[in-house]
Amino acid sequence: MPIDLLHQAHSAATSNQWAAIFPELALGCLALLLLLLEIVLPKAAHRHIPLVALLGQAGLLVGLLCNFDSVTLGATSFNGLLIHSHQGQVMRAFFLLSSLLVTVLSMISLAKQSVPRVEFTHIVLIITAAMMLLAQSNHFVTLFVTLETVTIGFYILVSYYRTSPFSLEAGLKYLIMGALSSGMLLFGITLLYGVAGRTVGADGVVHTGFEFAVLGDFLTAHPGNFLASAGILLVLAGIAFKIGAFPFQIWIPDVYQGAPTPVTAFLAVASKGAGFAVLLSVLHVFSSYHELLMPVLTVMAAATILFGNLAALTQQNVKRLIGLSGVSHAGFLLLGVLASAYVPMALGAVNFYLFAYLLASFTVFGVMAHVAGPNDAEQELDHYNGLMKSNPFLATVLAVGLGSLAGIPPLAGFMGKLFIFISAYKAGFYGLLGIAICGVVISIYYYFGWIKAAFFASADPSPAPEVKAISINWGARLVLTALAVLTIALGFYQGPLGAWVSNR
Amino acid sequence: MISVSLNSYIALSVILFALGFLGVLIRRNTIVIFMCLELMLIASTIALVAFSRYNGTLDGNVFVFFILTVAAAEVAVGLAIIVALFRRRQTIQVDALNSLKD
Repeated sequence: MPIDLLHQAHSAATSNQWAAIFPELALGCLALLLLLLEIVLPKAAHRHIPLVALLGQAGLLVGLLCNFDSVTLGATSFNGLLIHSHQGQVMRAFFLLSSLLVTVLSMISLAKQSVPRVEFTHIVLIITAAMMLLAQSNHFVTLFVTLETVTIGFYILVSYYRTSPFSLEAGLKYLIMGALSSGMLLFGITLLYGVAGRTVGADGVVHTGFEFAVLGDFLTAHPGNFLASAGILLVLAGIAFKIGAFPFQIWIPDVYQGAPTPVTAFLAVASKGAGFAVLLSVLHVFSSYHELLMPVLTVMAAATILFGNLAALTQQNVKRLIGLSGVSHAGFLLLGVLASAYVPMALGAVNFYLFAYLLASFTVFGVMAHVAGPNDAEQELDHYNGLMKSNPFLATVLAVGLGSLAGIPPLAGFMGKLFIFISAYKAGFYGLLGIAICGVVISIYYYFGWIKAAFFASADPSPAPEVKAISINWGARLVLTALAVLTIALGFYQGPLGAWVSNR
Repeated sequence: MISVSLNSYIALSVILFALGFLGVLIRRNTIVIFMCLELMLIASTIALVAFSRYNGTLDGNVFVFFILTVAAAEVAVGLAIIVALFRRRQTIQVDALNSLKD
């Protein structure tokens, strides 16, 4: 018996493929290096430390893209804790790209506040590493631990402006809602672990319901189990909180408003992306319970699209507006996720939509970070009045970003929506498709309200607040131009990215 | 030796979870809400240990350690936010925390 155990321990140890998680390890080391640099370097050199992070992340992103297909795709490692798949690679690139852009945004935004900057980048890097592991998790323990690393990191980031009561209040609200959702997710996992019991594999190794494959087999063999259904619904509720799907979207406007602008961007893009990465992997496990899942997700998608768009109509604060419009984007993505159960192209459509959303969102957030005054939580639509006159560059970039979010042809967002709608049509979700198209029409109204504020003088007789000249350094100008150009280019030519995100 | 059935453990854990969940929704003091959140996590750990015992697998017990670690990190960050907020606003009642609105 001891020899058996030794053998098992040996095979478990050989399954630890450290090289396969090199990007995550490197990000963790980079994060520690930043703290070290802050101690070692003289104070005058501190402002260059985020540049180190920027270069490191860019290097890792290039490395990841070059080695995209070279890792053992489809293989599990760490004794089944992680699975290395094409989808995982796509999400890894997504998270790295968003953390890179968040670092750029933080260099613009944090300069307006007196807060430590190195720790901010440090936490962003740790969260990114956890998200990258989350997208590849194949085991509920990995899923929970990485998801909590992400969530707890976000508690800190949301309340990062610790002298601002808005930021702290948003942090507290996020903490309560986030912990509530984690509690539900955890209880769901517990129930699923409990019902799945104990399975002994062919090689004598004991497996439990924590493993995705084992749980999937159990659910296929036992349809209609009450405890399992409850567990599935609780896990879904926990994930719905993260992606901000109705009825778990209540935290979004307040938290988005109070959080520092780079964190709002990080929440809107990467956190949502992480939620969808988890949703895609658990839906695959739960697929044999589709009679339970499909109605729930259909209603959720419809309600999310309608609520997000209708609630965004009346907003005057741009951070709340973008948060609620993000809710509706989550609804469109949910539609794609639903379709992916029937149509293989839907997965590629979801991935393309996520990338188009990333580019457009960071374009808009980049402009917001420049326009924002000293009070980060107060960014009203009025502040954009006359932006075209005072700063044509920012106004143009803003129009491209918002146009893409609204889905105006020929921008990337339009193609993203088109792909999702085509796959929904192929999968036969005609009712949902109708609701989604109504949602798009409503969304054009508030996006254009914002563009109108920036481009046309307000008809309001009261004197418009004078817009101060906004200085943009060349780095930010370069990044914003690149984002806007990519958003336009992707609308015309999806070639490599389209093939890359949909190739399985 | 008195043997307690698995169902009793699940019932206890469901009751604790429901108490915690309702507490988060109903209570107005942030610290109490925080305690209710911890109660939800504890409910899961009880169920995990019971399932682990009755299934004959150790994984559930090991997961409990991860949960405890996560809960500790969450409390550390959470209390820090509450303290910082109290210094700014002199209150931790959720009704008074409504400065974020349109």
